[in-house]
Amino acid sequence: MTLLLDIVTTAAILFIVSAGLLAIFGVLEIVNFAHGAWLTVGAYCAVVTGGLGLSPWLALPLAFVAGAVLGGVTERLIVRPLYSRPQDAILATWGLGIIIGQLITLGFGRDVQFTENLLSGTIHILGTDYSLYRLFALAAAVAIGLGFALLLEGTRLGLSARAVIMNQSLARALGLDTTRIRFVTFMIGTGLTALAGVLLTPLTSVDPTMGVAWLIGSFMLVMVAGSSFGALAVACLVFGGAQVLVSTFISPILGGITVAVLSALVLRISSKGFARV
Amino acid sequence: MFDTAKTETKLELDGVTSGYGPIAIIKDLSLSIRKGEIFALMGKNGMGKTTLLKTILGLVSARSGEIQLDGRSIVGASPKALIKSGVGYAPQEQPLFTDLSIQDNLRLAIRSDRDLGAALEHVFTHFPFLRDRLAQQAGTLSGGEQKMLILSRALMLKPDLILIDEISEGLQPTVIAQIAKALQAEQAENGTTILLVEQNLNFALDVADRWAVLKLGEIDDSGIADADSRERVLEHLKI
Repeated sequence: MTLLLDIVTTAAILFIVSAGLLAIFGVLEIVNFAHGAWLTVGAYCAVVTGGLGLSPWLALPLAFVAGAVLGGVTERLIVRPLYSRPQDAILATWGLGIIIGQLITLGFGRDVQFTENLLSGTIHILGTDYSLYRLFALAAAVAIGLGFALLLEGTRLGLSARAVIMNQSLARALGLDTTRIRFVTFMIGTGLTALAGVLLTPLTSVDPTMGVAWLIGSFMLVMVAGSSFGALAVACLVFGGAQVLVSTFISPILGGITVAVLSALVLRISSKGFARV
Repeated sequence: MFDTAKTETKLELDGVTSGYGPIAIIKDLSLSIRKGEIFALMGKNGMGKTTLLKTILGLVSARSGEIQLDGRSIVGASPKALIKSGVGYAPQEQPLFTDLSIQDNLRLAIRSDRDLGAALEHVFTHFPFLRDRLAQQAGTLSGGEQKMLILSRALMLKPDLILIDEISEGLQPTVIAQIAKALQAEQAENGTTILLVEQNLNFALDVADRWAVLKLGEIDDSGIADADSRERVLEHLKI
């Protein structure tokens, strides 16, 4: 039963970490290679709130706002001129990620930082004692998934974003403000990624390069999912499950590369990956 | 037919040149469309008809010349600004969000859902079949129904000027008749100006007040839609 819970909660964590990248890729058709840096920014928001003696929960809204504001500035100054040159955008965002990492190093040093746990302890569930925090992460992933579903299906912004995803030229011809839609989407994506950074703090060490490790897995999952949150959820469940199984029964080292290897295999078989889900 | 009362200019193009990359598709084109008239722009494939509509709407930049809407220059204006100022557009290429419902396709034409009810009622008067099928995915409609949906979306805001790109392409006569009826009703009831890009000579001349033939980005001939027009236009459209 613990194995099942590990699979589901690992999938949830992968979903939380990848959702912001997918939101940006889906609407802007640009891979934000500074994604790992935004995770790091979020995690350091938890360091800051801890340093100020504030509740660790305050790091969540702080990270979202900080990530969204930084994202807005980045979209306006760096990403917007590169929409027609997506390969250059990859290089630009990769470089930005390095700069953000160095700025964090300047401000906080290279050492691993420690943050206060959002939740600690275990809970008895399905006949086993299980980490309360990992179950909270599962609930957070469901909330983020439902939030996106509500945003996309229930709001005009969501409808406009879906229109831009499906046919950007037509959306523009109908008078939709595609520039504003991209801007807001980028802010939401980066805000959410920074928030994910806070949620990662109880699970991983916080240092200026912590985001890099998560970037590759997120990137591969998003490539497999296309622009569909449903497909992302399925990819996280399948590949996250495989990662847990490989880590448990074969080798944790091989488990660490499972997501990347399986994603590459799926994309080799079908270039659309799980995008039909 | 042509109404001599329609003398006020709605849309004026003066020496407009536009195109893609180094290639000029529209060349020094001048055209004047009067308020409340239906103007048919015809021509063979590749003559620049769609590019002209895109240039008016700001989707393709005019390299030179002047475009005025109600006497105000719209060169450099965004599609958003033009649609806000009362321009509707029914495109020919990839014209629908096929994975979205009919209602969502129509919603995208308006800026606020508060206007949805009235706008829907307006298009239902022309195409009542839409009323009971709002939840249906647009991509599952027949070809004719899709064309009616495209036109309905352009009519949602009751625009003063509608740019329509080959709406009759591939349609059976009964559907073309329905579309013609809707266009004539918009013109008669709301004084809507319509720029109709067409290759269907009979449809275009049946509904239009005036016409022009575009050849390699320039106006080759033009006239009032009357009994003699058909032969004249046909001469230009011969391969």
